[in-house]
Order: sequence, then structure tokens, then C-alpha cells
Amino acid sequence: MSPFFKGKKNADQNKPVDPMPGAITSSLQDNLAWVKQKFGNSPDIIIRELKIGSSKVKAAVIYVQGLVDNQLLNDFLIESLMQYDSSSQDETRTQMLDNLSDLVIPMGGVKEETEWSKLFESLLVGATLIIIDGTDKALTVASTQGGESRSISEPTTQNVIRGSRESFTENLSTNISMVRRIIRTPDLWVESMKIGTQTNTNVSIMYLNNVVDHDVVKEVKKRLKRIKIDSILESGYIEQLIEDQPASPFPQIYHTERPDVIAGNLLEGRVAIFVNGTPFVLLVPVVFIQFFQTPDDYYFRFDIASATRLLRIFIFFISLIGPAAYIAATTYHQEMIPTHLLLIIAAQRESVPFPAVIEALIMELAFEVLREAGLRLPKAIGSTVSIVGGLVIGQAAVQAGIVSPPMVIVVAITAIASFATPSFAVAISVRLLRFAFMGLAAAFGFFGIIVGLIMLTVHLCGLRSFGVPYMAPLGPYRPVESGDTVIRAPWWAAKKRPGLFSPNNVKREAGSQMPAPPQPRTIKSESTEKGNQNES
Amino acid sequence: MNRKRTFLFGLLASLSVFTSGCWSERQLNEIAMVAAIGIDRTEAGQYEASYQFFNPANIAGGLQGGGGGQSPPVSVYTATGDTIMEVHGNMSRKISREPYYSHTNLVVVSEELAQKDGIGPVLEAFDRGSQFRVTTAVVIAREVKAKDLITTLTALDKVPSQKIMQTLESTEKAMGENINIDLEEIITALVSPGREPMISGFTVKGDPKEGAKQESLQATDLPMTVEANGNAIFKNGKLAGWIDGADARAVLWILDRIQSTTVTTEWEGRKDGISYRLARQKTNVSAEMKNGKPHISVHVHMEGDIGEVIVPVNLKDPKTLEKIERDVGEEVKRNIESSLHYTQKIKADIFGFGEVFHRDEPAEWKKIEKKWEDEIFPNLDVDVTVESYIRRTGLRNNSYLSEMKNK
Repeated sequence: MSPFFKGKKNADQNKPVDPMPGAITSSLQDNLAWVKQKFGNSPDIIIRELKIGSSKVKAAVIYVQGLVDNQLLNDFLIESLMQYDSSSQDETRTQMLDNLSDLVIPMGGVKEETEWSKLFESLLVGATLIIIDGTDKALTVASTQGGESRSISEPTTQNVIRGSRESFTENLSTNISMVRRIIRTPDLWVESMKIGTQTNTNVSIMYLNNVVDHDVVKEVKKRLKRIKIDSILESGYIEQLIEDQPASPFPQIYHTERPDVIAGNLLEGRVAIFVNGTPFVLLVPVVFIQFFQTPDDYYFRFDIASATRLLRIFIFFISLIGPAAYIAATTYHQEMIPTHLLLIIAAQRESVPFPAVIEALIMELAFEVLREAGLRLPKAIGSTVSIVGGLVIGQAAVQAGIVSPPMVIVVAITAIASFATPSFAVAISVRLLRFAFMGLAAAFGFFGIIVGLIMLTVHLCGLRSFGVPYMAPLGPYRPVESGDTVIRAPWWAAKKRPGLFSPNNVKREAGSQMPAPPQPRTIKSESTEKGNQNES
Repeated sequence: MNRKRTFLFGLLASLSVFTSGCWSERQLNEIAMVAAIGIDRTEAGQYEASYQFFNPANIAGGLQGGGGGQSPPVSVYTATGDTIMEVHGNMSRKISREPYYSHTNLVVVSEELAQKDGIGPVLEAFDRGSQFRVTTAVVIAREVKAKDLITTLTALDKVPSQKIMQTLESTEKAMGENINIDLEEIITALVSPGREPMISGFTVKGDPKEGAKQESLQATDLPMTVEANGNAIFKNGKLAGWIDGADARAVLWILDRIQSTTVTTEWEGRKDGISYRLARQKTNVSAEMKNGKPHISVHVHMEGDIGEVIVPVNLKDPKTLEKIERDVGEEVKRNIESSLHYTQKIKADIFGFGEVFHRDEPAEWKKIEKKWEDEIFPNLDVDVTVESYIRRTGLRNNSYLSEMKNK
């Protein structure tokens, strides 16, 4: 929905929510009635009425079923309330409330509240309300939060061969604690806010206070506060609402479900944005090359890591211009293909009724359809799709003479290449751009591809992510930081953090960390001398 | 406003994609790839060009080429015209597709055409055209029509033009008796006042009519073969004579193009008693003025092994080896002098001595440039020195032949 045509400005005003008695009253009856009315008698809002103490004061415990830990609630809260016996008979109701809070409830997070809005807010995140007849205050017990949630499991999107096997869950506090367990320093700061007028989603930002660029933190907070929306269902909402250039096909915010990735990036001075309800945590600011990095890169030895990094960049180009290059070479630049290869391609194409570009589009579309189908189907049927798809794409289409075998090879290689891109976010943008490149190749040949690549480079160099140039440290070339780009420098050489993200605290490790054998190389020989000499 | 402008720009940019209509697009099944071109001269003095077109399906085989074995890998169409462009135009009357020259790797010019009209005018269109490669090999059809070379089918290499090209490459490498020269080198030699081109000759042994049929390939011993056969020497762009065998090799030697070859020498009265296998050589040609006359020095440095002895020789004796080295050197020197003598008679400086002289004595060259070919080259003093070494004698010292004799 682009507001391209002027004069159609949406009247986007927040409707005021229906009036609410601002604060709690002293009549329990009225209070409970209001709660019931407000929630429309929803059955999952549990109101447990009870009488406290020897004076049998009427009270109510209110909580939302499923959001609270039932065992905790019953064993500690309700039980201790029921066993409460006030020492002095003449304590006022307000004193009683204080006593409950100070002496009776054996739990953390007990707070006095009067505002209904605050009360409802805490009720809906799993706190328990305690209202006593005759007071205009209520207690909220935040630590009853609980209920069912998914346990920590292995990541599904970013698998590694070596490295931690845990991934984030849907629970915000679990997620934050997972990072806390990795970085154990008081400098790891978390700030929290609620976004979404209806969903009231908890959003937290996390950073290392002594490393981060505080301007970026300020900017992140500013952009998050700007969001006025009814709901945040996933971190994708936030991502799309705070990115720098919404018209770009490239992701400007990194997302991951791995705590070690978040920890590693926090240590480089980035800011993580946690959103309740999703295992995907956002990271800002990002640079383009980050989408080619995997956690393994840092765990494996640097030579292997660098080689795979180079391979991934090569893969990026294959998946971007693979079919386009084939179209350009076979329809405009036949002189570029070695004679015998050209003869093979020509022989296969002899009976194909379409021009190369149509052939490529058919195959690419067929593949995209298969991929989409494979994603949505349950696993049991998924294999059927791949068999049918393999037959249709590979075998039948060629035998029917609708497409040529070389085109199948090109499309297959491209497809595999796009799966080999470590970041799905970049892989899908490349998928989109591939079609644009195929169009350019069909109209202008390699000239078109080159023009497209130039435009792409210009676009990438123009992008910014929270003030950091997208192509850095290659775009504005920063030699010191380019140790983690197309190659991954060994850890003993990575003396500095990237100054782009942490301008204040660049030192990462002490002087000479390069390992070396002990200077008098005698350890080995001594042991062999002493060893068993009778072997022969 | 800015948004509107961006939109309009995007619209125009995308229009350029859709309206340009892919004007230079060529689908693979709309072009006919030319493998080779053979050019003959008709009675009327016109060009008669035979185009050898690839039949991709019959070469590549694979799924679609089921009947690959039955039909020939190439098809030949012939058209005539006063110019090459006219031939190109007339060709369109005979074939359904546009001829595509980027993969043409051979041009055959008939002996008759090269003699009567010269090779210069024929090659101009190829040099100018953007599709044509200047690295295309050029050969002269010796004693047969160029068309015969184009139509004769070959075994091993399915495509005849490729067979000719590869034969040329491998024989230059193995024997050095034929020169593998491409279009660009020929044109450079044609325009240079101090050099004349030498172009390899090819011929068809057997009946070319038979050779044009697919059935002829059914035999193991083909009824006709395409063979490299001597080199044509040009003078002023016209074919002036042929040079063969050891003489031709001597030319390549001076041009420093010899990569490996076998030199045989007499031993104890037995002709070709010892074969010397050349491993590497370097030839330097230099020019100077001596006593007011141009003087060329050719210095050959060669190293090699003993390849074969057919007489008993004591190869353990260093003195014997030294003698063989000397004999081989003299054999090469004799070859060079013989070929020099022959070309001086024709007055065609295929060695490029003029160019060497131009480089070494630029001031003197200016004075004699005009009369180089006809007056100076035929009477040129050429000083040939050959340095030859035997590095190894192969796997054996003395041959078993020595022991057979002792028995």
C-alpha cells in the first residue's frame, strides 16, 4: 500500500478505549464486578474468593488460567493466605494488606497497585491480583508467572557442526537469561518496553554498556518508541517498522535464534532486540557481509573458515546470476562458449520450442512452486512432492523436449546454491533479484547483467543500517576491520573489535596471542629418550 | 514529488527493457554455426565458397541425437559471388538459418586462387567482420579444390575442420615441418615489407567424392585421408612455390617455432644411422651491416636425446657423443642453408630477415627497404652457427645391437 497518490492520507487515529474507573475502589463486590465486565466474563479469568484471618475478611485472588504456575499459586500463595491469622484483632484493612505483602506471601515481586490499567497489565502477563474488601489498594504478585511454554531445543534455521546446540524459545525472560549465561558481566544491560496497543508485547533491548555505541542505543530506542501499532506478533513486525530503507530488497536487520550468535555480536558492540513470543532475536546494526557468516566460522580454524566464506560469496553470485548468465551466453554471446560445449547445448536446444529466457522462467517458476509446496506440506507428504517434482522437472520435461538438459543443470545448481546461502533473509532477496537479472539478460545480454550488477552495487553501497554503511568494512574500506569479511582472520590476529560498532572500546585481546611451540624444542625428545628402547 | 519522479524513472527504465525487443538476440536454434570455409576460384574468376556447417545433434549425441551415427556431423553448402559478402548474401538463399562465424576455426584457400588472385583480397572480409576470429587457422588446398578438404569426412575427430586444425597443431609440435599460422599472423606478414607469409598446405589422398559420404567412415582404413602436405610460400601476396620436408622444418627453425623434432644423421656410412630427438631449442637471428652489406647471423642452440640408433655405436664414449653432437649440428646447418638457397631463388623472405634487420639497424633499413625483397634478400650473406648438445641417451647406453654384433 504505497501512498503514492496524494490526498488519500489515512485517518489513523487511535480510538480512545472505553472509559475505565481509574482506580480500584474499596468495595470488593464492585471491583470484582468491574473485572468481570471488563473481561466479558471470560472463563479463563479465575476469581477465587476467600476469607482471610480470624476476622474473616473477604478477599479475592484473581489470575488468568494458563498464564500462572498453578502449583506455585496453590502451594504458596493461596495456602499462605488461608493460614494467615492476624495477631492483632484491630488491624485495619490497609495494615492487613501491608502485612500480607511483608509477612505472609513467601514470593518475590509483590507490589501494591491502585490503578486498574496497571493491574490489568500485570494480570495479563501472569501476575496474580489480591484484592481485599475495604481497601482501595490491591497486591500484584508477579512471580506467579508460569504456565506452559516450549522448552529450549536445537535451532532449526542455523544448524552448526560445532558449537552450542541451544536456541531461543518464545519466552522473553528465558531468552534473556540464555544470553546472561554466556556473557557474565554487569555491563550487560537490558531495557524493556511494551509495544502494541492490543498485544502489549514485551520488547527488550540488550547491549554491552562498555562496548556499545551509545548513539546506536539511543537511535534504537527512538525508533522503537516511534512504533504505534495494535500488535507485534513476531520480531518481523519490529524489523519492518524500524529498518532504514524499506524499499530495498536486502535485509538491514539480522535475526537469529542462536544465543551464541547474539553474544558474539553483543561483544562486537551491536544491540539485540528481544521480542516476546518469538525465538528470533533481532540484531542492529548489520553489514552485508554478516549475512555470509555462520557461527561455525568462528569455531573452526581460520583457514577452513576463510575457504568456506569465499565459497559462500561465490555461491551468492551463482544464485544471483546463474540462469541470467546462461541466458545471456546462449542468446547473445555464443562466441564465449567453447565450440564443443556450444554444440552440445545447441544439440539439446534443437527441439526446444521456447527461447532460452522462457525456458529458464518455466524451470525457475516450477522450482519455486515446488519449493513453496515443500515448505507448507507436512513432512510425511513432503517427500512425495520432491519425488513428483524431481520427475517433472528433471525427467519428463526434458524427455518431452520442453526444456533442455543444460537448463535443468543450471536451474538445479542455482537452486542448490540458494539453499547454501547461510542467511535465509538474503537468500530470498536474491531469489527475487534473480528474476530481474534474467529479464535484463534476456533483453540486453551480459551488458544488462553488468548494468544490473552496477546498480546493485550502488544500491548496496548507499544503504545504511543504523548509521553504519551496509557494505562496510568493504564499502568504505576499513583495513583493520576487514579481517572478518571475505576471509576470517585467525583469532590471535583479531586484536580489535570493529570500530564501526564500538568506537569507544576497540581492544579485544592482549598483545601477542599467536601460539608457538616452546622455544627449546625438547619436550618431545626427552620423553622419547626415557621411553621404552627395547622396541626393536 | 520526489516519489513521483522515482516512479517515472523506474517506469522509463523498465520500458527500455521491454521495448528494446531483444534486437541482437540469436537463439541457438536460429543460427547455423560455420565450422570452416573453403574458397575456390570459378572459371569466371568468381569466388566459390563452401561453408561447412555443424550439425550439432550429430556431433553431441545425447538424448535428442538418437540417429547421430547415421547422418553426417557437418553439412556443406556452396555459393558463389564476386566478394565474400556477396557469397554470404547468396548463402542465405540456400540455408534456412543465419550463418554464424564465431566458431569458425579454419579457412581453406585453394592453390589456384592463391596463385592467380593472391590471398590478400580473400581475407579482408574475415579480418573486418566482428564475428570472425583472427585466430582462425588458414591452410592452402594443395593439388585439390578447397571444397574437397571441406567435404571430406574424417574419423576420430567427427568435425573435419577440427581434424585439420588439430593435425596442424600436432604436426607442428611433433615434426615442425608444417606451420600453424592464423589469420592475424598472415595479415601481419602480408603488410610487413620485411617478411612474407608461409602457409601450410593440405591435401586429400584418395577420392574426394567417396570421402564426402558417411559410408566411407565405415571402413577402418579410410578410402581417403586429409593430410598436411608442405607449405606454400608467398610473394607479394601470391603463391610462389612450395617448400617441403626438412627444408620446411629449417624455415620453422629460423622462425624459432620448432618445439620438438627428430634429426637423423649418417653414422659409419649408414644413412640415418642415428636419430636425435630434440628436447628444446632456441634460435636467435640478428642483423648487422658488414662491409657496407647487410649481414644476418642465425644461431641455433639445441638440446636433445638419442632417440634411436640402428647401427652399433659406443655411446659410453664421450668422444663419440661429441661427434654425434657435431654431426647433428651440421645436419641442421645443411638443412637451413638448403632452404635459404631455395627461398632466395624465389625471392620470398619468409624468414622475416627484413624485420630483424629493421629492428637491429633501423637507420640502414630505411635506405634499403624498397629493394630488400628483390635485390638484397636473394644475395644475402647468412651466417649459420649451430650448437647442439646430447643430454641423455634414453633408457640405454649402448644398444643391444652392439652385443648382437659381438656374438
